[in-house]
Amino acid sequence: MTNLNAVDPAAVAQDAHLESADVIIGKSTIIFRRFMRNRTAVAGLLIFLGLTLFSFVGGYLTPWDKETIDPFNIAMPPSAEHYLGTSQAGIDLFAMTVEGTRISILIGLIVGLVSVLIAAVYGCTMAYFGGKVDKVMLFVLEALIMMPALLVVAVATSGGGDGLKKNLPSWLLLIIVLLVFSWMGTARLIRSLSMSLMQRDFVKAAQYMGVPPRRIVWRHLVPNIGSLLVLDITRGVTGAILAEVAFSFIGIGIKVPDVSLGVLIGGATSQVQTFPWMFWVPLTVMFLLTGSLAMMNDGLRDAFDPSSSSAGKAKKKNSVKEPAK
Amino acid sequence: MSSGTYLEPADPTSHSAAERLQVAGLYSPSDAVLSVRDLNVRFNSENGVVHAVRGVDFDLMPGKTLGIVGESGSGKSVTSLAIMGLLPPTAEIAGSVRLLGKELLGLNDKAMCAYRGNDIAMVFQDPLSSLTPVFTVGAQITEALTIHNPTMSKQAKEARAVELLAMVGIPSPKDRLKAFPHEFSGGMRQRVMIAIAIANNPRVLIADEPTTALDVTIQAQVLEVLHTAQEETGAAVVMITHDLGVVAGIADDIMVMYAGRPVETGQVDDIYYDPRMPYTMGLLGAVPRVDVAEKTSLVPIEGIPPNLIYTPTGCSFAPRCPLVTDACRDGEPELLPAGGQPGHKAACIKSDALGSDADVLEIFSAPPVPVSRFDAIPRGERATVLELRDVRKHFPLTKGALLKRRIGTVKAVDGLSFDIREGECFSIVGESGSGKTTTLLEIMEFHKDQDGEVVIGGLSNKEATTGKARSAMRRELQMVFQDPTGALDPRFTVYEVLAEPLQNAGLDKQAIRKRIMELMKLVGLQPDHVNRFPNQFSGGQRQRVGIARALAVNPKLVVLDEPVSALDVSVQAGVINLLDQLRAELGLSYLMVAHDLSVVRHISNRVAVMYLGKIVEIGEVDRVFDNPRHPYTRALLSAIPVPDPQLERTRERIILQGDLPSPLDAPKGCNFATRCPVFAALPAAKQEKCLTLEPPLESVPASAAAQTLESGRVPPADQQFACFFPDGELAEDMLVVHETAEPHAP
Repeated sequence: MTNLNAVDPAAVAQDAHLESADVIIGKSTIIFRRFMRNRTAVAGLLIFLGLTLFSFVGGYLTPWDKETIDPFNIAMPPSAEHYLGTSQAGIDLFAMTVEGTRISILIGLIVGLVSVLIAAVYGCTMAYFGGKVDKVMLFVLEALIMMPALLVVAVATSGGGDGLKKNLPSWLLLIIVLLVFSWMGTARLIRSLSMSLMQRDFVKAAQYMGVPPRRIVWRHLVPNIGSLLVLDITRGVTGAILAEVAFSFIGIGIKVPDVSLGVLIGGATSQVQTFPWMFWVPLTVMFLLTGSLAMMNDGLRDAFDPSSSSAGKAKKKNSVKEPAK
Repeated sequence: MSSGTYLEPADPTSHSAAERLQVAGLYSPSDAVLSVRDLNVRFNSENGVVHAVRGVDFDLMPGKTLGIVGESGSGKSVTSLAIMGLLPPTAEIAGSVRLLGKELLGLNDKAMCAYRGNDIAMVFQDPLSSLTPVFTVGAQITEALTIHNPTMSKQAKEARAVELLAMVGIPSPKDRLKAFPHEFSGGMRQRVMIAIAIANNPRVLIADEPTTALDVTIQAQVLEVLHTAQEETGAAVVMITHDLGVVAGIADDIMVMYAGRPVETGQVDDIYYDPRMPYTMGLLGAVPRVDVAEKTSLVPIEGIPPNLIYTPTGCSFAPRCPLVTDACRDGEPELLPAGGQPGHKAACIKSDALGSDADVLEIFSAPPVPVSRFDAIPRGERATVLELRDVRKHFPLTKGALLKRRIGTVKAVDGLSFDIREGECFSIVGESGSGKTTTLLEIMEFHKDQDGEVVIGGLSNKEATTGKARSAMRRELQMVFQDPTGALDPRFTVYEVLAEPLQNAGLDKQAIRKRIMELMKLVGLQPDHVNRFPNQFSGGQRQRVGIARALAVNPKLVVLDEPVSALDVSVQAGVINLLDQLRAELGLSYLMVAHDLSVVRHISNRVAVMYLGKIVEIGEVDRVFDNPRHPYTRALLSAIPVPDPQLERTRERIILQGDLPSPLDAPKGCNFATRCPVFAALPAAKQEKCLTLEPPLESVPASAAAQTLESGRVPPADQQFACFFPDGELAEDMLVVHETAEPHAP
């Protein structure tokens, strides 16, 4: 189309420079390195992975399952036969803990991921269109925030939702209800973030090129708040696990025969004095679960934050002189 | 750098700072106030240890100004922060920094506080973020006084604060003490920063790019204030800048830095008129000149500064130097005396061969000036690509939370008409707030509900109601943004960035690939760079990607919003040359908005000067710049610093008073009357006319046009302006000439 085919020597020189000097470190590599440098976060990740593994293979380590009653061992403390003892109904506590951990992690992950996804799309759409669309969507959001979530959960999982209950297991129902009430805070945050992104030139550039709004939201806005989304996922997972425990504790969440950590904790509270293992075991697992996520969250924030003070690893290799202050 | 060119007092009332200090018996002139020896700074990064400053030496004499010049990343700012002790504790600093003989390096933060803001003070680049928004400026000035003078009484501090504000030229200083930073404009805030910095009569004042974030007219004011402050306090100034024009007029000595090292030092005249290092020559050749009409290509310095993680084995400039030989790669050259003048040193093995007769354009093999096929056709015969007819954009200003009352109108753009022909570059210049960007946005919006008509390639916004017509228009008109980093989605590869407009135009995959490869070659990027992310490119390359994106759909008109203002001088030259070349080869037209008049002069054919939403002067660029008729154009032109120390020192400058008035209380008659130097000198009877009547945009009278041209037999000159008294006298107090050393009345 033109006769401007000569390659700019500047670009060539620069290319050689870039190639030789390995200045390009992929963003993901930097994030990974920073994350790995945070010991607490790595420990958190290991604990979380360990618990997940435990919840899936733990069942094979014991001959008992969560439904079989051992009539000879009712409310017995831990023994060789029942590693963590049995419940008052004579069910193996180890089997129940494995099952409960799995359900809790499942609820946490699904609610955490999906609610952030909903929040991202909802928040970005609000910010992109602004004006009337923004007002209406914001009204819906505010209304949901003001809705008493506790009551709705109670009604959905016990009384009113009979039709639903027949078709769905109680944990799935809880997931749906938790989802409906968990994305609003994040959505508001994302809305304000996207509004500032909207001011950026690359969004304007796309608009001036005539790119349709749907594509701009999906291709420019959502990916650019990615780091926030990752942080919010871990927070959302923790929140969902805690909410499940809380709801199950007061008796409106997971229903027997489904088991979760919250159900186990809630069922054992009245007999902490007499059967302490029934209470402390699921509680410890829950602490490990939420604690490990909190530890990871801190490391993730450090890794994603561009202004993080996380210095390069090179420091360790060098004899550090006393810096002047 | 011991000898300087400090001014002799022209009248008996004003003494030079050095002389007054001598009288006071404080320092003998041979004693340096600040002496830096072998300063080294290292940082740890993900890639390894960055050796940001490598052996900086200088002595600063009282009352003198040292200009530190270099590209970004050359270690200028790090040097200043190291002197101030403001680097993060992760930085390793070695060497010696002595202030009045006392060693500063190694002091802890608390001990450093006794010096900071007292003996040594700093003015930062961004005035918008260096003042605390929740305290009044009075409180912030008083704070600086309280810390270092605990015994000072409250009244004394207030009196001193008022005195300081008056010194930096803030009107009614007593009332303004109680104002908050957001009530000040950017230039005013920078003045407050200077007032805080000089509050305790510092011996050394470090100014880190103090005017980079400001408009040209405000830049001139702030430089003037710095000059006054220096005279008042007798402080030595370290002026850090990337703009060789800014320091030409005010510096005594210059230090050019490259890759963390000083590569050339000397007195200002030696550096500008007899540079002995190719890098300095390149920097000087890369700056477009506002005062030169003859068109030559700019000198681009190819490549980017070296990576400071690796210790250079040869001259650090060798990879970019056009004169490089094998000897250059053999060990880093020392800073040795060059050029014969005392104090002039250069770090180049060829410094003796590079005399003042060396031709920069030849050395750096600058490309020839490209010629467009449209250049030969008279302007009137070329097709119109864009036409604006009486475009207006008024924003209602409302007050009240529940019931919104309209209390006024902001006339951001007020009745703009102009046209752009094929193959032409039309520029709009003016201060921030004059409506340049709003004009661009109005054109880009292209909506039928707009007030006024926008015709793009024969398609009017009044007729283009369907999406199809609008997308056809989008193909005619594309935009290049100011900040190349912000304009590219950081998560897109270059391929995705360039593919976006093409996908939108409905091209298939194969065609998109082919076109992208073409575009990469067109803007001088490696075709195999398409898989890279924007953050892996330098600023200049990013802007090239931005240009490639704009050219993707083969537009006729490209809108350039300050296309080079975010780039370094050396990189800027390359991008300007590219734009010039593309215009010629592809027959493009440009609509450019810029505040840098030298760039405008270099690249444009026609120019319009805007003030408060109106065009005050429009015409062919050489005519407007060589023979400006409107006082505002004259003021703008005189505010542009020129990289020529002698010219800069003797030049008469118009320093406009104050800032752009708020469009809310725009005057009824001529908009410019409140700041006009001509108006201020007019007799009251004539002033009345300016205040009540709005001057229309009229052609230069035939007689005036004839005077300016030798031949005199030409069609009506392509220059229009809106002023009743273009030939009026200028008010004395708005004129400044440095050579006379007249203390500028605040």
